[in-house]
Amino acid sequence: MERKESSQMSSSNEKSLFEMIEGLTPLDPTLLAEFKDEMTREVIPEIVKVVEERRLAAAESREWQLKC
Amino acid sequence: MYEWLAINSPADLAQLKNLIPGEYEPAKVADKLAIGISGAVKGVLIERYYVDKDYRSTYYNFYSKMGMRYRTDCIRLHFFDETVSFEQPLHRLRWSGSPNPLQDHYFGFMVLRPTGIATIGRSVVSPDVRSGCSGFIVSAKHKVHLLGYTLTVEGFPSMDQHIDIAVCAHVACWAILRHYSERYFTYCEFLTHDITMMAQHFDPGGLVPSRGLQVSHAERVFQEAGTFPVHVTRSKSPSGAAVDGSFYRQLGAYLESAFPLFAAMHDKRHAVAVVGYEWRQRVSPRNGGVRYAWDEVESIVVVDDNHLPYLSVSATAGSPYSAQDIDAFIVALPEKVFYPADAVDKLEPALFKFGALLGLPAREDTILRYFITTGSALRRFVREHESEFDPKLVDAVMVLPLAQFVWIVEFATEAQWSAGRITARAIIDATASLRDPTPLWLFHGQTTAIVFDRQKPNDFNGVGVLALSDPGHAGFSRMVQNLRSTQTK
Repeated sequence: MERKESSQMSSSNEKSLFEMIEGLTPLDPTLLAEFKDEMTREVIPEIVKVVEERRLAAAESREWQLKC
Repeated sequence: MYEWLAINSPADLAQLKNLIPGEYEPAKVADKLAIGISGAVKGVLIERYYVDKDYRSTYYNFYSKMGMRYRTDCIRLHFFDETVSFEQPLHRLRWSGSPNPLQDHYFGFMVLRPTGIATIGRSVVSPDVRSGCSGFIVSAKHKVHLLGYTLTVEGFPSMDQHIDIAVCAHVACWAILRHYSERYFTYCEFLTHDITMMAQHFDPGGLVPSRGLQVSHAERVFQEAGTFPVHVTRSKSPSGAAVDGSFYRQLGAYLESAFPLFAAMHDKRHAVAVVGYEWRQRVSPRNGGVRYAWDEVESIVVVDDNHLPYLSVSATAGSPYSAQDIDAFIVALPEKVFYPADAVDKLEPALFKFGALLGLPAREDTILRYFITTGSALRRFVREHESEFDPKLVDAVMVLPLAQFVWIVEFATEAQWSAGRITARAIIDATASLRDPTPLWLFHGQTTAIVFDRQKPNDFNGVGVLALSDPGHAGFSRMVQNLRSTQTK
């Protein structure tokens, strides 16, 4: 019981980033939305595609013989 | 047991063949040294009856089983500068005219194996005395015990392949893993014979290893050694199409992060360890888009078992091969690097969304460099360069709950690149998921920083802006901490 209280206390005492770093102001939500939109629509699908292509290419090259 | 050879000119190295028995192939070794080692080496101490753990591992498991009798002992050559001399009666090394300790005059060692062919065994030589080598090298400090002196040499391990029982790929694996065991406490030491055993599910025995390795075997060696290998293969470009630039940018990024690379050349059936690079003297011409650090690489430095270490190889074309011949590499990563270089390479368009807020340079004037480092190395760098930063930014770096590994992306203008400066730096969570829409911790320019609270990844209120006072300089220092700069001697 005592232990639970202690853990609740530490969670409620956890400081947010804005409390830890003095002078922070919120980022313009439009700019953040634009960034996330670019990531979600363009960048992440491209990353997933490239990583999959690399995986397939690596599977092929695993068989290469090296002896020089 | 010990003998000193004074070197006044490279021709003096030929005397090695009078001082060392033929089974150590001294004439060939002398020829290689005469061409490959700089004139700064003025003395060679020959240490006989040296017990070399790597040779012994192959002796116990292979050479001792042969009809021809092989010696059990090796010879070790130690390289010194002009200030050092050897006093025979007391076996004492003397150095004059310099207040610096003996190790400042020591350039490393080379073991010679009594195998008749391919006799250059475990060697760690300073890249500073390798002819034709300059730039930045992945290195570790190796301790050397000699005549009661404890010396260190900073370099990368190398050896010739045994031919009979180990080939180029074994040697490249061995060199990388020996670097790891010397550089990081986490990794064990593996001897030459261990590497041949680790490559297979079964004991390959006899001459089987000499028939070569497949790339998958090398991957297995790194897995067995406790690393988490990432295997990257170049995409096949249709005839006439541009080569896979992303492949080389990643190669450069992992190298910049101080991870030596196991590089495979399919057409040449050859493998080497890539351990360094050298920048171009002049920046590459504009191409209408972002340029990357790889575009500014003139040459890479490899440890190739057919040559002395630190062979400088052109990034574009040349003999015996160039970086363009490398079509796959394995990087032996620590466990907690989940966000691959492929992902960082694709982030650029999204990062430029913050261009106006952070004052990023125009795309066509930007040279982008990315690499992995640890959160603690980043904090150390910021602490050492505290005067360049607004104290609020220093505070932010110190209190952010960074993961152990971070990707750093640096943005530099052409002018800043030449001066080793940057405009902005993004710090990306190397443990992020591929599908994370905000994998950043921090992104700062000269007068603004964006700080991301990764405890609240989906909260718009978890991203804050920090206004910074103008630092009044032409750019922050480029973060060059992972590799050692050569000082040609």
